[in-house]
Amino acid sequence: MLLIHCPYCNETLPEVEFAYASEAHIARPAKPSDVSDEDWAEFLFMRSNVKGPLYERWRHIHGCGRFFNAVRDTVTDKFLTTYKAGDPRPDLSSLTEGLK
Amino acid sequence: MSQYRVSGRGRVDTSRAVTFTFDGKSYRGVQGDTVASALLANGVHLMGRSFKYHRPRGAIAAGSEEPNALIGTRRGAGRFEPNTRATVQEIWDGLETSSQNKFPSLKFDVGAVNDAAYMLFSAGFYYKTFMWPRSFWDKVYEPFIRAAAGLGVSPTEEDPDHYASRNLHCDVLIVGAGPTGLAAARAAAVEGLRVVLVDENAEAGGTLLSEPQARIDGKPAWDWLAAELEALKALGVKVMTRTTAIAYYHQNLIGLVEKLTDHLPKLPADTPRERLWRVRAKQVVLAQGALEKPLVFHGNDRPGVMLAGSAQTFLNRYGVLVGKRPVILTSHDAAWYAAFDLQDAGAQVQAIVDTRADVDALLLNEARARGIAVKLSHTATATSGRLRVSSLRINPVAGGTVGSGQEIRCDAVLMSGGWTPSLHLFSHTKGSLTWDDDRTTFLPNNTPEDCVIAGASRGLWGIEAALADGAEKGRAVVEALGKTGAQVAYAVEADRPGTGVSHKELPTDLSAGKAKAFVDFQNDVTAKDLRLAVREGMRSIEHVKRYTTNGMATDQGKMSNINGLNIASDALGKKQPQVGLTTFRPPYTPTSFGAFAGYHRGEHFEVTRKTDIDSWAEAKNAVFEPVGQWRRARYFPKPGEDMDAAVRRECAATRASVGIFDASTLGKIEVVGPDAVEFMNRMYTNPWTKLAPGRCRYGLLLGDDGYIRDDGVIGRMSEDRFHVTTTTGGAARVLNMMEDYLQTEWPDLNVWLTSTTEQWSTVALNGPDAAKLLAPFVEGVELTEETFPHMSCVECTVAGMPARLFRVSFTGEIGFEVNVPAHLGRKLWETLWDAGQQYGITAYGTETMHVLRAEKGYIIVGQDTDGTVTPYDCGMGWAVGKKKPDFVGMRGLARPDLQAKNRKQLVGLLTEDGSKLEEGAQIVFDPKQAIPMTMVGHVTSSYDIGTTDQPIALALVAGGHEKMGETVYIPMPDRTIAAKITSTVFVDPDNTRLKI
Amino acid sequence: MTAPISSFTPGVLAHSDAARVGFAPRCARFSLRARGDLAPLEAALGLSLPTRIGQRVTAGERQLLCLGPDEWVLHAPERDGAAITAACAGVYADHPHSLVDISGREVSFVIDGPRGAELLTLGCARDLDSIAVGEGRRTLFDGATVILWRDGDTSFRLDCWNSFATHLFHLLDTGVRELAAESL
Repeated sequence: MLLIHCPYCNETLPEVEFAYASEAHIARPAKPSDVSDEDWAEFLFMRSNVKGPLYERWRHIHGCGRFFNAVRDTVTDKFLTTYKAGDPRPDLSSLTEGLK
Repeated sequence: MSQYRVSGRGRVDTSRAVTFTFDGKSYRGVQGDTVASALLANGVHLMGRSFKYHRPRGAIAAGSEEPNALIGTRRGAGRFEPNTRATVQEIWDGLETSSQNKFPSLKFDVGAVNDAAYMLFSAGFYYKTFMWPRSFWDKVYEPFIRAAAGLGVSPTEEDPDHYASRNLHCDVLIVGAGPTGLAAARAAAVEGLRVVLVDENAEAGGTLLSEPQARIDGKPAWDWLAAELEALKALGVKVMTRTTAIAYYHQNLIGLVEKLTDHLPKLPADTPRERLWRVRAKQVVLAQGALEKPLVFHGNDRPGVMLAGSAQTFLNRYGVLVGKRPVILTSHDAAWYAAFDLQDAGAQVQAIVDTRADVDALLLNEARARGIAVKLSHTATATSGRLRVSSLRINPVAGGTVGSGQEIRCDAVLMSGGWTPSLHLFSHTKGSLTWDDDRTTFLPNNTPEDCVIAGASRGLWGIEAALADGAEKGRAVVEALGKTGAQVAYAVEADRPGTGVSHKELPTDLSAGKAKAFVDFQNDVTAKDLRLAVREGMRSIEHVKRYTTNGMATDQGKMSNINGLNIASDALGKKQPQVGLTTFRPPYTPTSFGAFAGYHRGEHFEVTRKTDIDSWAEAKNAVFEPVGQWRRARYFPKPGEDMDAAVRRECAATRASVGIFDASTLGKIEVVGPDAVEFMNRMYTNPWTKLAPGRCRYGLLLGDDGYIRDDGVIGRMSEDRFHVTTTTGGAARVLNMMEDYLQTEWPDLNVWLTSTTEQWSTVALNGPDAAKLLAPFVEGVELTEETFPHMSCVECTVAGMPARLFRVSFTGEIGFEVNVPAHLGRKLWETLWDAGQQYGITAYGTETMHVLRAEKGYIIVGQDTDGTVTPYDCGMGWAVGKKKPDFVGMRGLARPDLQAKNRKQLVGLLTEDGSKLEEGAQIVFDPKQAIPMTMVGHVTSSYDIGTTDQPIALALVAGGHEKMGETVYIPMPDRTIAAKITSTVFVDPDNTRLKI
Repeated sequence: MTAPISSFTPGVLAHSDAARVGFAPRCARFSLRARGDLAPLEAALGLSLPTRIGQRVTAGERQLLCLGPDEWVLHAPERDGAAITAACAGVYADHPHSLVDISGREVSFVIDGPRGAELLTLGCARDLDSIAVGEGRRTLFDGATVILWRDGDTSFRLDCWNSFATHLFHLLDTGVRELAAESL
């Protein structure tokens, strides 16, 4: 069971308080009706499925209730960082640097 | 005193006799004995039969690694457990134990015929033998395997014990309370850290318990140990014995199982049998020590052949001589001390047989001085004795050639093949290992966890090395936690570190095919099996393991892994690190299901949510069904009624007069804020802008893929406040989905969501008399068609209680849902129930609710929809706002696939023969087509007669909306049923019954 | 048969030498959500709205705990409920927010006794030491979302939704006896 840092509570807490919420930084088009079938399919169904650091969303569902973003390594399962929704993506190279 | 008990030895209390039974025979042991030590004290070595060959077996070890001596224990009624290690189970007066894998008796076993058929049962036996003929599988092979498989017998009674669990947070967790762990604990505790020290044994001390000769800081080991434990407790260290660290999970979460009652004759009240601890430690010190390896030679499994270190433990900890005329067989110095200790306790040591040519002169001199015969450069090639070893055959080895054999009469063979560091938990951390050629074993390298491994676990032998490394690693941990640790040194006298060599199977003069040299005792895997596996093409150690089952027994190869690896790598002609080690997986030792279940069993297996009205239903003998975590009343049978009869009565009464239904479980969400209506427009398919306060509307929620996710009636309580209802099972999911869109996509909207599912108890009244019944209780609104039409909502008072009143119907009858603060639910229900008697009010459950709604063609999301159904597929295009710029699912609905013709559409079905269809049954257009038939849909809902003339069904059928009146077919195992496609509305298509 | 939670009367439900579980009297409970300038709401409610999650304030008999960046839970005597609703309604037009009555949604258990904190470790995975006395948190207890108010070193209040209450009480009751049976 992982420990997850909630950027809103500023506490590192057991995974059971959290819920996974799929890949991050996939914005819903502002005007979906203007989007082509291909682009809509891309938005709905396509995910990066990377081996290694993945941007993803979690919700502190049994705590403060906020959705937030995280970078997590899909190989080790470990969180590299978490950050508030709306904050820019952190630079991956600086995050993985510390691991080596 | 028993025959083999040595007075003045051991930590047992010989003044307190304990009587227990083994296979029905009564034995006497003493307080502090395990079953194994007590049986050995009585001269009993034969404790079980092996798994595959049913060979007689005795204890080979003294601890939790024991592969052979698995017994059944009975601790009173219902408390039977198979596969308990006799070396772990402590005895008490009245304990009943039994051997396993024997028929009819331990001493004479019919299954031992397998042993004679040894050649047939070699590696890959199951894979090869049971391949053909296919028809043999059911009748011959499977029954045979089932009868032969498994260790012991499963308990047949429900376990009356209770189990517990707890979470624990600490700074430092230390696994293993031997010298390493004790020194580490001291280092951390003196810095004021929260320290937990655990050990699987009944008492802390580890190897110190077996080595009383040692002196630490001038004190005898046992005195030092007692003082040290007192000191640690005084420093606040939580010392937990009989507690096994079973697993190491991510980020220093360690699972511990604490055994609390198995060693007690009387069960204390309110005490669980076992407790699972989930420990989250900032730092972990692994000090699990090392396990002694057996030597691999023909007959090394005979009762009386055991590990030399274990023999020392039986002597020094339990005061038991495992034999009076033992012979030592070793490749390591450690066993020489076993010889000396046993001799000091009165044994006549027959010989020390060492595979090595060169042995420490001090040991040789000591043996010589004691008059013990020493045989260097010797191998062992056989043992004899039927149920207990009576001799060992040894042969000199010179220049790789095995010379002629010599029999040594003995009553025990004490072997040592050196030591294997215990790396199980370290491996759970995904720690990397390095091969160490000197020690012929893997040693720990790096781990991604905040964890250190110390002492014998990393190949350091001897008490002094263990104490020093424990202190050093303890200090490292202290410093990692930001404190400054002190350097501590321990002075140890009479230490026995020792060295040795490691072997594959010992050289032999027997023909290779005949030798039964066991590597894995529990799974009966021999050296020959491993070599055969390599010959037959297995190259990876993982394949060799699975083909031979080496290391796959409940002991997970604690003794066999390195011996197995040595043999496999020799057969492959590769070095051990190129062949690799199999992976250790949790749990470290077999763990009861009870420990994992903890408090969650029986009625508390999981949360059962109940409404305030549930207790009324229970008192009325309702039959319940689970809906999500809720239990809901399904129907209210009268004496003699089955479900169909009860449901038919409840349906009829509701359509005839009035039915009362507990709808409290419906999900409810309060949507509040200036942007509430905009949020509703974006979330739901329906338009909300023009819905006036005081009115409600059926809302349909899609995913962005265009498929139906949920539905419910939504009331606009005021301009900026909506009372949203969801399905019972969907409540949490819908709220999460709404929060997701709100927080992530539309953070600019000024609106907030609050779950009010449990704020309200909801009583639904349906039927022609519903308004008449309810009206007298309602203050604030008149229940007429004009003042409170269908799909109205209002805050008012009902029976003196603050209420939100909705006029809605899920039955097609005049319907009201009265919401009152949850704790007033039953009071409201009883008030209406009493008043409803004049109308013959009938309580109905979910089954009747389902029938009544199906008669009206109202869908149930998740039953009539399956995540691939659009509003149009359900004939609910009317609920989709056509003029809105966007809503969740709008773009999805425009996808070509969702616009396609011939999608599966929801229709009604009436069978031609009036029978009831099976829910889930597949539908075809042409029943005469060849199998496999083209399936065009399935039955989603089907009910026996409610208030219709015949059973009705709803179904999804390809292009169904265009096929009204056509016949489809439902092939069943015994016949094919024809059914006519109809409208989904079976009752009152014009909705005349909704009017007051 | 399990009695409905509404039939529980305030007082001690289970106790031993180790710990005690009580049932708190009913009170008015509100979920308050707001963003931006909180001063008008603070004025209306007569208490400050702390912005650090876990922080609590008390004003008279009103107690408020910050649960999220824009979320608070407010407890007050039952008779005070209508006044709170009215006060908030009074500032809604200029300072939109969400005030939802959840008085009926939840009940509270009072947990204390020498090993009160340990009793909570039966169901709570988070380190309770990280909740300071005088603070509170929403967390998970035995699978149910709860709010823990830490009132003292070993005394807590646990708010849970009605339908989870009997399940959670069963565990607390078991724990009260289990802890007492332990020799320390």
